[in-house]
Amino acid sequence: MSEESIVIIGAGHAGVQAAVRLTELGWPGRIVLVEEQDGPTYERPPLSKEYLKAGASDEIPALRKEHYFDEKRIERIKGSGVVGLDREARNVTLSDGGQVQYSKLIIATGSQARPLTVPGSDLPGIHLLKTRADAEALRTAMQPGSEVVIIGAGYIGLEVAAAAAALGCATTVLEFQDRVMSRVTSDVVSRHFEELHQEHDTRFVFGTAVTEVRGDGRVQEVVTADGATYAADVVVAGIGVVPRQELAEAAGITVKDGIVVDLDSRTSDPSVYAVGDVTRLIDEENGINRRLESIQSALAQAINAANHIMGQAPARHEVPWFWTVQHGVRLQTAGLRSPDDDVVVRGTPESGHFSVLYLRGGRLAAIDTIAALGDFTAGKKLVASGAHIDTDLAADPANKLTTAVRELVDETR
Amino acid sequence: MSKTLINVIDREGAVREVEWEPEQSLMETLRDNDFPILASCGGTVSCATCHVFLEKPVVESLSPRTEDELELLEDAEAYNPEASRLSCQIKQCSSLAGINVTLAPEED
Repeated sequence: MSEESIVIIGAGHAGVQAAVRLTELGWPGRIVLVEEQDGPTYERPPLSKEYLKAGASDEIPALRKEHYFDEKRIERIKGSGVVGLDREARNVTLSDGGQVQYSKLIIATGSQARPLTVPGSDLPGIHLLKTRADAEALRTAMQPGSEVVIIGAGYIGLEVAAAAAALGCATTVLEFQDRVMSRVTSDVVSRHFEELHQEHDTRFVFGTAVTEVRGDGRVQEVVTADGATYAADVVVAGIGVVPRQELAEAAGITVKDGIVVDLDSRTSDPSVYAVGDVTRLIDEENGINRRLESIQSALAQAINAANHIMGQAPARHEVPWFWTVQHGVRLQTAGLRSPDDDVVVRGTPESGHFSVLYLRGGRLAAIDTIAALGDFTAGKKLVASGAHIDTDLAADPANKLTTAVRELVDETR
Repeated sequence: MSKTLINVIDREGAVREVEWEPEQSLMETLRDNDFPILASCGGTVSCATCHVFLEKPVVESLSPRTEDELELLEDAEAYNPEASRLSCQIKQCSSLAGINVTLAPEED
């Protein structure tokens, strides 16, 4: 009998963590990591942050050293995507035509940056930022004095804007909504970051939609719906990501804007798991239906897929959390806010250090901490415990956040 | 060049000698050597899941903690002002050969 194989497609945070966890748990068979890119594995967060800064190192930290994979006998197929999945025969077809058999398959294909689709979107000088190669190209393109136009004021757009402004580029951000990071945070946090960028000479244009990119051989200007034009040497589209679910979809696995998985990272096929940005977690019992772009979530899903394969109990589900750093100011978020939540500001934005609490039915549902890491860990725990919060106590940063708890509700399942 | 070997004490108290390679942070070395630290933020001072204890003289020999690191550490349950560091913030350096690194307990 041939040895049992687990094939993992994708070597980002989720795919590598799945391989690591399987070795930790002593998976006796083969582990095959199929990697689209040829180089070493790498961390993603620095691509839009440290790496873009002037004088930054060319090195992007690896997820694991190259020899780690050899020592753990994790087989790697590099420079190859997967183009076909035959669930009946349990094999995948690689882009070079080769095939690999699996006993269990873990799809960790991640997401891709949503491309611009307006006329002129294929002009040289337009950048997306998702991979190491994207970051290298953008870093080369952004030179002091360049006119940089960024489309989208989400995390990526703003991190690039901060890097561009710091490099001495003339920086403009075009955003369809009326404030920055509108999808992920509240008005007070948006305004704080907007002002921060304005202090660094970044110009914002809100409520505007890009309709065309023009240029003679390469990008020269961006046109918006109201007919305005913005001169550009470099255009960066930071307009979200789309899950890379095509392989699963073509093979008949259930997808709904993401490969649908349960808390154990199982897809609709018992032999196939999916982890990371490519997934949509649906757990009707607990009212969960979401696709997260989150490293912490990717790691947790990868651990749970491996745990399930090895017959281990799932790891505890951590509260989702996110972070961004712009002009040295750190925003960390724990939990998932809803626009209907009651908002309590703890401290004052003017001081430069504050937190924003999002309450649902009196309980802490989410927290943003702005240069206030001291509230982050405590807030994350309180979100996890479903704590009822005394808003008067919580609003005063002189009180420790934990003393503002009126009642702890044990939500341990 | 001699190797930079360090002693790592895991959460069960077992000691293991590992090599700390040039250019690596202590967090990366711990991760590459299978110690169970999640390091979920990848070394950007965001999560404190790579919290370790170092001996007092070692801590004193290192450059001081940044404000961010300190804020995260102070909030950790096992925080020890004399010994706690985020391992992602400590770069390899031959003068650190032979140090003892103790993994902090996992947070609840």
